[in-house]
Amino acid sequence: METDWAAENLRVIRTLMERSAVYRRALAPLMGAVGLAGVAAAIVAPFAPVRSPRAFAGYWMAVAAICLAGAFLLIRRQALNDAEPFWSPPTRRAAQALSPAFFAGFATGLMFLCAEPRTPLAVGLLVPGWMVLYGCGVHAAGFFMPRGFKLFGWLFIAGGCVLGAAMSFGPAPALSWMHWAMGVIFGGSHLAYGIYLYFTEKHGNAT
Amino acid sequence: MNPKPFLQIDRVIHEKGRLPIMSLLAASAGMSFTEMRDALDMTDGNLSMHIKTLQEAGFVSVTKSFRNQRSLTTCALTPSGRRAFSQYIDLLEQIVKQARTAP
Repeated sequence: METDWAAENLRVIRTLMERSAVYRRALAPLMGAVGLAGVAAAIVAPFAPVRSPRAFAGYWMAVAAICLAGAFLLIRRQALNDAEPFWSPPTRRAAQALSPAFFAGFATGLMFLCAEPRTPLAVGLLVPGWMVLYGCGVHAAGFFMPRGFKLFGWLFIAGGCVLGAAMSFGPAPALSWMHWAMGVIFGGSHLAYGIYLYFTEKHGNAT
Repeated sequence: MNPKPFLQIDRVIHEKGRLPIMSLLAASAGMSFTEMRDALDMTDGNLSMHIKTLQEAGFVSVTKSFRNQRSLTTCALTPSGRRAFSQYIDLLEQIVKQARTAP
């Protein structure tokens, strides 16, 4: 049919307009660095004076802050290398999508720091709570990221729900066990995703 | 079928290489040359050639600047380019509508 090209062109236009809003900087180094930091933090935790729920929340919030700062520097370096603006519209959209859930996670951690819960069970519920909130943020940002990022968010949400249920009905976990859980869940998953992206995403200049 | 929409189609935009450039720029305030090259998977030469054609038609403005001692080429749609692109989409929609309502 001679008018098929018109519908096809409209489809192409729509796809390309959507694509212009997608964040395309290389994510493999970012995920790898965040993953390594998470695993390293879990290894260091038993040797650090992190022996109360309050210290646990403070320690992992500090790790998250270091990861965020590292991610910021990596993204900035990519932008500088490509001679592009750092705060591009796709970067802004992804950051805006991440921020509500990240803020909620920060607020939850802050409550732990201020209220000082005494039972290890509280920490057992903090970790799944952080997982769910992190997953929600990643999923929201996934609308402006390459495919796969939303699934990564869903894995955190589902994992957080399962872990939360296990913590609620099972015995209270030891703090050292929770450090390993954080290392494996946040560090390990990011490292694995970073390795996967390294072999699958387009290398070189990517936004 | 009414041939009018077919005859009104802008030949500068209606080209395999230039339509994607217009589409990308229509969805953003401006894009760097490298961003467009990567998003469209085009070669530097091919992209430059199409941008030049669009610039000559007055649809695209090109700004060259320096950022961290590197040259930065940024492209954006001009108001007339945005208007022309909007008209182009309207015409495509008319053509599709005609095809759907044709007996």
